[in-house]
Amino acid sequence: MRRITFLLLLFCFAAMTSIGGGYQVGLHSTRNTGMGLIGTSLTYDASSIFYNPGGVSFIKDKWSFSGGISLIMARVTFQGKDENYQTHLEHQLNTPFYFYASYKATDNLSIGLAVNTPYGNGLSWGDNWQGRYLIQNLKFQAITVQPTISYKFKDIIGIGVGLVWAYGGVNLNKALPIDYSGGEGQLNIKGNTIGFGFNAGILIHPVKGLNIGIDYRSKINMDVQNANATFTVPAAVRSQFPDTKVEVSLPLPANLDLGLSYDINEKLMIGINLCYVFWKQYDSLVFNFKTQTASLGRTAQPALYQNKLIPRLGAQYKINPTVTVRLGAYYDPSPVPSDYLNPQTPSSNEIGLTAGLSVFPFKGFSIDAAFLYLMGTKRDGTYSPENFAGTYYSAFYIPAIGLSYSF
Amino acid sequence: MKKLLFIILSLALFTSCERKISEYAADKGTANFTTYISVGNSLVAGYADGALYHDGQVYSCPNLIAGQLQLAGGGAFVQPMVTSNFGVAVYPGVQPKLVLGYTVDCQGVVGLGPLRTEGAMDPFANVGYAVNNFGIPGAKSFHLIAPGYAQMNPYYARFATSLTGAVVQEFNNVHPTFFTMQLGDNDVLAYALAGGSYDSITNPQLFYFAMKTVLGSLLATGAQGVMANIPDITSIPFFTTIPYNGLVLTRQSLVDSVNYAMSLYQLPFHYVVGQNPFLIKDPTSPHPYFKVRQMVPGEYVLMTVPQDSMKCRGMGIINVATHAPYPIPDQYVLTTSEVAEIHAATNIFNAIMDTMASNHHVGLVDMNSKLKQLNSQSGIVWDGVHLNTDFVTGGAFSLDGIHLTPRGNALSANFFIEVINQRFGSKIPYVDVTKYKGVVFP
Repeated sequence: MRRITFLLLLFCFAAMTSIGGGYQVGLHSTRNTGMGLIGTSLTYDASSIFYNPGGVSFIKDKWSFSGGISLIMARVTFQGKDENYQTHLEHQLNTPFYFYASYKATDNLSIGLAVNTPYGNGLSWGDNWQGRYLIQNLKFQAITVQPTISYKFKDIIGIGVGLVWAYGGVNLNKALPIDYSGGEGQLNIKGNTIGFGFNAGILIHPVKGLNIGIDYRSKINMDVQNANATFTVPAAVRSQFPDTKVEVSLPLPANLDLGLSYDINEKLMIGINLCYVFWKQYDSLVFNFKTQTASLGRTAQPALYQNKLIPRLGAQYKINPTVTVRLGAYYDPSPVPSDYLNPQTPSSNEIGLTAGLSVFPFKGFSIDAAFLYLMGTKRDGTYSPENFAGTYYSAFYIPAIGLSYSF
Repeated sequence: MKKLLFIILSLALFTSCERKISEYAADKGTANFTTYISVGNSLVAGYADGALYHDGQVYSCPNLIAGQLQLAGGGAFVQPMVTSNFGVAVYPGVQPKLVLGYTVDCQGVVGLGPLRTEGAMDPFANVGYAVNNFGIPGAKSFHLIAPGYAQMNPYYARFATSLTGAVVQEFNNVHPTFFTMQLGDNDVLAYALAGGSYDSITNPQLFYFAMKTVLGSLLATGAQGVMANIPDITSIPFFTTIPYNGLVLTRQSLVDSVNYAMSLYQLPFHYVVGQNPFLIKDPTSPHPYFKVRQMVPGEYVLMTVPQDSMKCRGMGIINVATHAPYPIPDQYVLTTSEVAEIHAATNIFNAIMDTMASNHHVGLVDMNSKLKQLNSQSGIVWDGVHLNTDFVTGGAFSLDGIHLTPRGNALSANFFIEVINQRFGSKIPYVDVTKYKGVVFP
């Protein structure tokens, strides 16, 4: 019963924020969060379903469950370029979650299901801030469900593939520079859609203690066909800005991950990951208003993201059968070019430092905790199409908790 | 579980701290902003929406500049304030400001447009205190050196310290350390606003002498400053809102009867369904009786043209009562030759000011190129605000089509600040354009 309540809570708080580059989240297992977000070569629990389906068949237990939630506290300060203006991102809590279950059907064949939130962005700069004609607040989230099958050959090579079904919702508000007796014009866009992709991986276990993982998660096109665009404008210009359906397209970029981990001894494991994100797939954010007027049509917000490689490093140490500790670090370079830095996703090059802890009250069951501190670098940038320039300085504080049970 | 919650909560507490970026550090550079004065015409007086009223003055370009200069040692900026938000009745017949509202035209069509508000205006009176803003609606360059100008221009008389002196003699009384000047526009604009018919463009020699005297008087006080040149006034909404071919004929039967009438009058004009050029007066026409012609591209109809006469009485085509050709009167039209005169004079005046500014190390705000940019396809974008020269929707020009909105003034103030910073190595922050309004819809 308690577990059910916990899961329900997860769904209630399903709101994400981007940490690091763009709008990819990266928090998919509290255990892995504790060690620099590595995971492509790990097979400790059902989180392999997401990190590398090829590793699922290497999970030792018949059943494995893992679920958790991260609390993202984003702190971003903005200083306008050549202006006496400074503001902060509003404080809000964003809560990506995950839930995984795997079942070993035969010695070599496993199946599993993953439900998590690999992409999302939630932020609010307030209704009256200087950049309100670009964005006031934004909530974008993608929840993915991934049924997965995995098979291993002679405990050396595992392969796996999962079909990814994604449900995405977007809700954004921005002001329009139209003054009237009732205040300022306003646009709300709200809608949701589903998209499909796949996740395929290989896990190689050449010698005892060494694991090599390669995983590819495909691009998912989130094409919201029938979002609602609601304009709050004076009656005099209503015919120019009718409420209408709007098509919004946003790609969820593909990822190619390479991971390597090695058990130095019974207690100590170290691992590295190289994650290549195909951010170039995000060229522009397109809004296609279905009712067209002289003031309303197809608008493309250029994004021009660049592909990026994220190196990650992590280690775990089993102090005793009941306590395991973890450490990690990674570098997440921003995919956003400096002349397209938009307050919708204020992204900078970031260094992540992580620590984690698992407590096993009894065999197979663990309470996992982790903390990720993400240091953004101070970054000057302009969103050129709107001539909006300034300095962004960010930090993220992310505690995470989770439960894992294998038997 | 409780322990974990405790850990998470305590982490949440220590993480409430924000990232620190140092605030903008304003700096005066080599300039001294202690006593700032503004010199010029209605564009700096805070005149907007066809009136000089309280809020217009609050959002005047120099008042916005002064607000920024105060971050780098600038002092108080006193303007000859009007208390009424409708206007000041400096002489009989002055009307209160324009607002955007619904009107019914002669055809019974309800439309959105500028209309005069009704409300109590300030009576004419001298404010009785010394001011920093010498912005005088209607002032041309040579007016500032004319003794007794206060007797000719009641806007100046509102704050003049002498009825017999000249404006240039006032500068010394306030001991300015810094000035901005936007003068000379009326030397071409007054002619253009009269449709080239009853005012005249200032003689370039007089312009040179007047500017030299005004600038000389300012520099003689020891003040430093910047001055703006004259933009191409034919790109402001007052001239561009009604196109030369704004005569729209919707029915073929109407087109046929117009063409028939023109052929009867032996006028070589051909009309089509859709847009057609308006008819204007042409004294050089070879026609023995009807001295008229169609407008050509590059000619302008003034916003003050009586629109009901055009819509219901046939002005610009054929008089509905007499069926005779009915040209738009000359005072509502800028013809090709008048436009050429305006452009030629603007170029001469700008060359004079350019030389004068560089000779005296006065910063030059190139308002001419800024207005060109504002008038281009992409307009000017500032912090997500897209501004252009379109009437009402462009955001920059107020309802009179000549003077700026608060938002337009904020942008203009930034053009000045840009040059101040370049010329004096100062660091004056830009005005936050997003804080100021454009045209307000009902």
